[in-house]
Amino acid sequence: MKKILKSQISQLWKRINQSYELFIPIEKDNKVNFSMWQEGDQVNLEILKTNSSPKNIIFPQTETYLQFEKNGKKINMESVGGKKEAYVLFGVRPCDVVSFNLLDNVFLREPVDRFYEERRNKGIVISMACSDPEETCFCSAFGIDPENAVEGVDVATWDMGDKILWMAQTEKGKMFTQSLKDLLKEATEEDEEACVQLKNNIKEKVKNLPLSNIDMKKIDKSMKDLFESSIWEDFSAQCLGCGSCTYVCPTCHCYDIQDFDGGKSGERFRCWDSCMFSDFTLMAHGNPRKTQKERFRQRFMHKLVYYPNNHGTYACVGCGRCIERCPVHIDMVKVIKKLGGEL
Amino acid sequence: MEKIGLKVRARAKEALENREVDEVMGWKKGEFWYDVYPVFITEANEADDLIWDAFCVNNLSKYLIQKQKENKKVGVFLKGCDSLGFNQLLKDNRIDRDQVVIYGLPCVGMVDPEKVKKEGLNKGLLEIKRSKDEITFVTKEGEKKILGRQFDYDKCLACRYPNPVVYDELLDTEIAREVSEMDRFKDVEAIEKMSITERFEYWSNQFSKCIRCNACRNICPACSCEKCVFDNVNAGVSSKASVDSEEQFFHITRAYHVAGRCVDCGECTRVCPAGIPLDQLNHKIMKDINELYGKYDAGVDVSQDAPLVTYKLDDADSFTEHGKGGK
Repeated sequence: MKKILKSQISQLWKRINQSYELFIPIEKDNKVNFSMWQEGDQVNLEILKTNSSPKNIIFPQTETYLQFEKNGKKINMESVGGKKEAYVLFGVRPCDVVSFNLLDNVFLREPVDRFYEERRNKGIVISMACSDPEETCFCSAFGIDPENAVEGVDVATWDMGDKILWMAQTEKGKMFTQSLKDLLKEATEEDEEACVQLKNNIKEKVKNLPLSNIDMKKIDKSMKDLFESSIWEDFSAQCLGCGSCTYVCPTCHCYDIQDFDGGKSGERFRCWDSCMFSDFTLMAHGNPRKTQKERFRQRFMHKLVYYPNNHGTYACVGCGRCIERCPVHIDMVKVIKKLGGEL
Repeated sequence: MEKIGLKVRARAKEALENREVDEVMGWKKGEFWYDVYPVFITEANEADDLIWDAFCVNNLSKYLIQKQKENKKVGVFLKGCDSLGFNQLLKDNRIDRDQVVIYGLPCVGMVDPEKVKKEGLNKGLLEIKRSKDEITFVTKEGEKKILGRQFDYDKCLACRYPNPVVYDELLDTEIAREVSEMDRFKDVEAIEKMSITERFEYWSNQFSKCIRCNACRNICPACSCEKCVFDNVNAGVSSKASVDSEEQFFHITRAYHVAGRCVDCGECTRVCPAGIPLDQLNHKIMKDINELYGKYDAGVDVSQDAPLVTYKLDDADSFTEHGKGGK
C-alpha cells in the first residue's frame, strides 16, 4: 500500500497530466462532474455522486463516427471515432466502477464495439472508497462494497482525511503506480490499520442507511407477471417522460445513431438515447412502444429483468442519482419496492 | 401546514365519496424527508395518503391535459404558482375549466432540499415540518427549529403570488407577503451589463452544460404542444445530440416559444439536472415584454390579451418599417 499527502495532491495531478488526460471530479458553478483536469481547476474529492455519472468518459453522450462529403457522384468518408489519448479516471466510486463492468457486458461481447473497446483500453480507472455513504445510496442491494476495491479498478484509493491511501489492483495499475514512485510514499502499519478501521466504519454506516433494507429477491414473479403488472400504468402516468433519470444513470446504455445533415456533407454520430422519449425504438414500421407506459416499463424491466436474464446481474448499481434527479420523485427504489410487493 | 393537510385529505375524501369528481390529484410522501410525489386517486380511502407539506413543489395542473383526454372530471390542489400555470393552460386551450375543481392552497414557500444539504442538516434527518416561516428539523435525536426563509427555493423567495389566482375553494386563509416586482428581474441586470460578446459567451457556457434530458420542457406548463418540434424526427433537428449548436438551438427556441406565456414558476430551473439558470433567460424576455408592450403577467388574468399575439395601432413595433426599403 502507498500513500500521498493531500497537501501534495496537486503535484500528482500535474504529473499524471504530463502523460495522460486526467478526468477527475471538478466543481464548476456549484455542480461537480468528471471533467478533464486543467491547472487551477477546483477538484472535489468529497462528493460521492457527481452530477452526471462518469459513464460519459467511457461512453460519450455524443460521438462522431464518420464524416462524409459528396463529391460529384462519389461520397468521401472518413472514420473519426474512438479515443487516441491515454487517460486516467481518478476518484470513481465503487458503484460507478461496477457500472463500467455492466457496460462492458454489452459492448465488449461479440460483436465487439471497437470504439468503446479502444476507449476502455486507453483508460486507467482509479476508484475511491465511499467514506461517508449517503441516504440515497443502495449499492449494497447489488452486492457492491463501497469500502473496497471492486473488480475492474486498476488502483483503489481511500480518503484518510489528510492523506490518500493507494493500492494497485491490476498489472496496469502496478505499472502506473511504479511510474509515480517518487510521489507515492510507502504506507506505514498505522496507515494500514487506519484503513481497516475506515472500512469497518463504512460497513457499519452502510448497514444503517435508510435503503439498506432493499431486498432484490422480493422481486420473484415471472417475467410475464412483472411485464403485465398494473404498476406501470400508475407510475407512467406520474412520469413526465423527460430523460433525467436515463442521462444521469451510470448503467443506461441505449443509443441512437443519427446524422448531422449538412446537405453536401455531414457527420454520422452515436448519441445516448432514452427510453423515456417518444422516438425511442422508432422504426420504419412504427414504434412498438407507443405510450409512456411501455417506455417507462422498458426502463425498469431492462434493468431488473431482461439484463439479469442475459448477463446474470442486475443493471442497477444503487448510486441513487435517479432518486435525486427525478423532477417528480418517481425512481428506481419506488419501482423495486412496488415490484417486490412492499409499497 | 399539518392542519391544512387534514383539510386536504378530508376534502379529497368527500369529493370522491360524493362523486363530485372522478379523480383527485394531490401529493404523497415517499421514502425520504424531501421525497414527495404526485398521485392521482380515485377511491375515497386513498385520500389518507395525501399530504400537504414543505415539499409539495410539483405543479399538478399539466397532468390535467392527459386526464381530460380520458374524459375525467378532476379535483386538483393548486398553489399560487401552480394556478398561474393552470391559467396559462386554459388560455392556450389545452384544458377545459368546467372539468376541473380547484382546491386552492395558499403557500408560504417550499423548502429546497439542496439548501438543507448544503448546511449539512440532512444527516439523520427524518422529517421537515413547516409552520409559516418556522422550519422544524426532526431527527432521531430530537427536534430543531429554525426561523427564516433561508431554506426556501430561490423561486419561492421571489414569489409574487403566494395565493392561488384561480380556485373553486380555498383551503386556508390568504397569505400576505411583501414582494418587490423588481426583485424577480434582479438576475437580468448582470446580463444587461454584459457586452454582446460576453453575453454570447455566458449563454454558450450555460447551454453547454445541457444534458438533453428535456426536463425543463416537460415540467413547463407553457410547453404543452401535442408534439414538440424536438420530438419530431422529421423536423431535421438533432434533439439528442449533446453538441453546442443543438443545445443552443433547443434552449433559444424554447425560450422564444414560451415568451409571453411563461408564468415564471421557476420549475425549469428547479428541475434542470445541469443547473442551467433558465429562469434568467425567461426573466430577460419578460422584462423586455413589459418594457415594450406594457406590464403583462402571464397566467394572472385569462381575459387579458397576450402581448405577443395582439397587434395595436400604437404597438411598440409598427411592423411597417420592415420589408422592402425598410430597416
